[in-house]
Amino acid sequence: MDSASIQFVLFGLATALISNVSRSRSWRSMVLFLASIIFLAFLSHYPLAFVPLAGFLLLGYGGLLVVGRAGSRWLVASVLTVIFAYAWLKKYTVLPEAIFLQFPYLTVGLSYIFFRVLHLIIDTGGGERQHLGPGAYLLYMLNFTTLVSGPIQRYEDFSRDQFAAEPIELGPRVVGLQLERIVRGFFKVNILAMLLHALQEDAVAQLVQPSPPALKVYAAVRLAVVYPFFLYANFSGYIDIVIAMARLMRLRLPENFNRPFSASSVLDFWNQWHMTLSNWLKTYVYNPLLIALMRRISAVEMEPLLGVFCFFVTFFLIGIWHGRTSEFIMFGFLTGSGMSINKLWQLGLIRAKGRKGYRALAMNPAYVSFGRGLNYAWFSFTLFWFWSDWAQIGRIYQALPAFEWLGVWLTVCVAVTVVLASWERLRAALLSIKSAQGPVLTSRYARVIYASALALTAFVVSILLNQPAPDIVYKAF
Amino acid sequence: MNLPTDVKPASGAEGKMARRDWILLPFLALLTITLISVCAELVARRTFSESATSLESCLVLTDPASGVRGIPNSVCWEKSPESPLVEYRLDGAGYRSGMEYGPKSPGTYRIVMIGSSLAMGERVPFEGTLAALLPVELSRRSARKIELYNEAMAYGFARNAALRFQDALRAQPDLILWVLTPLDVERAGFTYVKDSFNKPAASDSPIASLKNAILKGIRERGGSIVVGNALRHWLYEFQSQRQYIRSFLLNRPDEGEAGFLKGQLSPQWQAHVSEFDSYAADIEQQAKAAGVPFVATFAPNRVQAAMISLGEWPPGFDPYQLDRTLRSIVTSHGGTYIDILSDFRTLLGPEHLYYPLDGHPDAQGQAVLAELLAKQLAGGAIPELKASTSSMAGSSQRN
Repeated sequence: MDSASIQFVLFGLATALISNVSRSRSWRSMVLFLASIIFLAFLSHYPLAFVPLAGFLLLGYGGLLVVGRAGSRWLVASVLTVIFAYAWLKKYTVLPEAIFLQFPYLTVGLSYIFFRVLHLIIDTGGGERQHLGPGAYLLYMLNFTTLVSGPIQRYEDFSRDQFAAEPIELGPRVVGLQLERIVRGFFKVNILAMLLHALQEDAVAQLVQPSPPALKVYAAVRLAVVYPFFLYANFSGYIDIVIAMARLMRLRLPENFNRPFSASSVLDFWNQWHMTLSNWLKTYVYNPLLIALMRRISAVEMEPLLGVFCFFVTFFLIGIWHGRTSEFIMFGFLTGSGMSINKLWQLGLIRAKGRKGYRALAMNPAYVSFGRGLNYAWFSFTLFWFWSDWAQIGRIYQALPAFEWLGVWLTVCVAVTVVLASWERLRAALLSIKSAQGPVLTSRYARVIYASALALTAFVVSILLNQPAPDIVYKAF
Repeated sequence: MNLPTDVKPASGAEGKMARRDWILLPFLALLTITLISVCAELVARRTFSESATSLESCLVLTDPASGVRGIPNSVCWEKSPESPLVEYRLDGAGYRSGMEYGPKSPGTYRIVMIGSSLAMGERVPFEGTLAALLPVELSRRSARKIELYNEAMAYGFARNAALRFQDALRAQPDLILWVLTPLDVERAGFTYVKDSFNKPAASDSPIASLKNAILKGIRERGGSIVVGNALRHWLYEFQSQRQYIRSFLLNRPDEGEAGFLKGQLSPQWQAHVSEFDSYAADIEQQAKAAGVPFVATFAPNRVQAAMISLGEWPPGFDPYQLDRTLRSIVTSHGGTYIDILSDFRTLLGPEHLYYPLDGHPDAQGQAVLAELLAKQLAGGAIPELKASTSSMAGSSQRN
């Protein structure tokens, strides 16, 4: 069962339907647990493939028990053990190859389970949580709506809805909204992302194969523009589907995207893109690291620079988390550098113009628009180390001389600035058309019209192409 | 556009829908779907129209003596959904030869081309076909007058080519050129059966079965849906090379259209090859007896061209396998085999040289085939056609 296929959607809807047969928390938990086990069974047909995942879950629970009983004394050891086990199972290249398991096993979802395990252990070590039973632990870890690619939900939020004596309401209006969101997500993954992926692959082929120089420049611009949109459509589409599915099971998952390409800086962007990942790292890496450094370095003038350093470390780790190869180290380095430079720029502007002056500049439409374009181009540049490997990056960059690449990135920056600024204006204009109930475009009537159009298109195209749903990029992490 | 997708815990009127909405919202959904479907179908019918007449009205499809043959001096027109309106003007011998059958003028080198629809130039106006372009390109390269008499015929697969081969010899050729396609092997023993090319691909997928059942139901009631083909045409054109190959191979796991792309030919394809071999032996023996040099070549189909250009394919597949097999068959009977397949490695997106649904090369595809064939024929494989030094210099300057 592919992650965003019709089968997956039907499976989720059927689970939601059965889950709503009773409002009792035991019933809903049992249905969610069984559905998650069935979903896991679809991922591999070999029982042995599940053993490492089961071992990791067991290790996590063991760590949780140890930290719960012995307190924070065992916290660091437990966290390090879990990190080592994760790196070992994910076969990080920093470890010797001889120690890796030599049979094929399931790693899908391991990265997201890793975050949940660490979150439980760290919070328990900090005395923030009471004992957690194995049933609740397994249900939280294996919840099929968050297993494959997130979003990363905190246990408190999960248990608040899942184990509530009185589950959250699910009226026809909410059901309608969730069905519309599933359609939107399905369309994004199966149609929009599929078409954008075709553009990306064609652009790569045109760059690395013999073709006229003008075509290569055009292909380079296309490649730089298309991939971030593709990734957004692919990942946010999947997140739309699972958030809506979970909501139909009376479970609220955290949002993972908030119009990320409207962000006018790298700092803002990571508050709006894969939000649950950056929030997790801010909570468990950035904040503790900053506090620890501030305790050691008491000079007040150093505080902003410590923040810059912590941003670098946090977002460097985001890069490394994505994969085990040197490409992801580079991706992390570029992402961390982008955050740090942006923070330094912000600090420099505040120093030069004062807080008031900086705020005024940050509100300036031209500054905001250009910031959007620059952020987009930077993100697209860093993503080369996300979707490609060194050999292919080498071939792609050798396709054009350096000054032409400079021209390509400048073109991308300017073009995206113009397009995103126009889109923001259009969006504002469309949302300003209002009836007594609010914007006409977000009314239930408008939603039904466009959801029907998207559903029809997605259904027809799926039938005509009759191919498996595209892979969710984040499933690989 | 970021839209709110949840509401605060519903209480009272906020969570309820107005009674009229229970009727209005489904009606709106239905209306939207109907409107889009009807508009899309109307646009598709306009842009993907088909002519009422077809090439088949110029053909005798079941002649016991010659298999499929053309009606002498007939003219017919056909527009398939993806192609322009094409005229098929057959000569006195019933071929789309482009020249009047007659004695050779002195000093002229005459090639007679045999083969099936691709070599005939189906779906392409005559002036854009291989038959029209190849002699011009060869004359330029070899600096001698070359003429090509085209005896290729729709459905002219191996058996039909063998049945009509005496026609080729009667045309006093200096060379016989057989342009092969995967279908020439798969349908080697072909006899015409109506609609045998229009059967929907069998599929295990419930969605594909549902689609086939719906289309069958519509056809049985005398209707048709054009928008599906229009959308497929557009999607196939838009897909990247990798996506297209993946989707093609996934949807044709059987031995039909993709069977010849396997690294190890299946028993079914081995039987096709064996049948083809017997006709090839017959044809080449006749050519040898008449003392006419015989050359065969193999033009890839759309997916094969894409695989070769991409340079990678899934395990268990090998797009060169059939080419190698045909080479060994043709050369074992004394003929010459020229390879144009490997030149597809250097072409960018060669799948766009074919009509995506129909599968025949379009005018651009025919031109590329003519160029590749001329390059190989003048490259030394046929001494009489070997490119002269001056024309080579001209060619390299042009390039």
